[in-house]
Amino acid sequence: MPSLRNSFPVLLLGAWLLLDGCNHNQVDPPTANDTREVYRPIYSSYEAVRTIQTQAPRAIRQAGKIYIKDGFLFVNEIGAGIHIVDNRKPDKPVKLSFISIPGARELAIKDSILYADNAVDLVALNVANPQNVRLMKRIENAYPKSSYPPQRNVRFECPDSGKGLVVGWIKSEDKDVNCWR
Amino acid sequence: MKPLLYFLIILAGGCSDGGIGAKSNDSAGASAGAGTGGSMARFTVAGNTLYLVSSTTLRAYDVKDSRNPIPGQETKLGFGVETIFPYGKNLFIGTQTGMIIYDASREGDPRHLSTYSHIRSCDPVVVQGNLAYVTLRNGTPCGGGINVLEVIDVSDLRAPKILKSFPMQSPHGLGVDGNVLFVCEGDSGLKLFDLTDPINPKLLQHLQDVRSYDVIPSRDLLIVTGKDGIYQYSYADRKTLKLLSTLPVEPPV
Repeated sequence: MPSLRNSFPVLLLGAWLLLDGCNHNQVDPPTANDTREVYRPIYSSYEAVRTIQTQAPRAIRQAGKIYIKDGFLFVNEIGAGIHIVDNRKPDKPVKLSFISIPGARELAIKDSILYADNAVDLVALNVANPQNVRLMKRIENAYPKSSYPPQRNVRFECPDSGKGLVVGWIKSEDKDVNCWR
Repeated sequence: MKPLLYFLIILAGGCSDGGIGAKSNDSAGASAGAGTGGSMARFTVAGNTLYLVSSTTLRAYDVKDSRNPIPGQETKLGFGVETIFPYGKNLFIGTQTGMIIYDASREGDPRHLSTYSHIRSCDPVVVQGNLAYVTLRNGTPCGGGINVLEVIDVSDLRAPKILKSFPMQSPHGLGVDGNVLFVCEGDSGLKLFDLTDPINPKLLQHLQDVRSYDVIPSRDLLIVTGKDGIYQYSYADRKTLKLLSTLPVEPPV
């Protein structure tokens, strides 16, 4: 049975871990020779993030979620947008366009309206004409700001809101970082 | 003639609220209602409600007017929420600690029915009839755990019961359609199972080279997403996957 005196530092450490948004449970704090992966935030301005564009078809580089509606296939380019594919002939799919939606990782469709996450916002896009996708509604700040990378048991550069909105995370070689999860 | 017709339809759609889908069955656009996502989805449309799961919450948006989503109820779910799968009038939510079932028969007002818990791991869920198929995957970012496919009896939605558990390699997304089940094994390939006996999936085919993350099976067409491409297969004969096409995933610049 530990005495209260002995457990006090443990309680302090526990309280500190709970309070510190950088740190999550079950992960060891960094050590001098920490070999865990390091990530750093990708920043963008709100203006840039809130610009949604229909662009020419482009290469799929990091395929994420997929969605089908009628003869169309929608492929998320992780963190970047959505490829629209004419899939009425599944043996000959044709990429029609790319909708640039900064931060997008999720999608669903009702009627001809596609819902996607646009960093901290939720957007409703009319995709009836894949060559001219139109913003119908933007719900600002539907999501909390990204304060840590999705990966677990990693170290990362603490986000600085003064640099803009965090739209993603990339691996970094910088070992001198102060956040982890 | 046809391209001109499409062009006219597009023009017509652009002038009104509908768009090409609303104008003609022959056109490329969308019919009324929701489409279909994969098992790893965090967004889903059920009836007139768009549901979004974050890592801790279920958020409802009223999309009766699809162009005008209206934020609705938010439900706390706990931690490590990963996926949402609508089936019938219910929502099956995959979390890192189990499966949560909500009754979604009241639009935008989901009611908790049960929470099925297992050891910590990643776990999408799909449902067919009275059975839920769940994959549990070991390793980061999902903590410890094991690699298995579980078959769970959900005939009583308030008391799900595990029936069977089968070892897997690195299961990610999965899909079910009638008497076939598809399991993405990540870097270990793609598997097709026969479900003639729905609680005892029987392996029919293992495409070891197809690194797969998630699938959508629909009307004999299986769409697979993975590190190397978007693959489309016919499973019309319910025995083998026949490759129809590949949209390549290209290396980063």
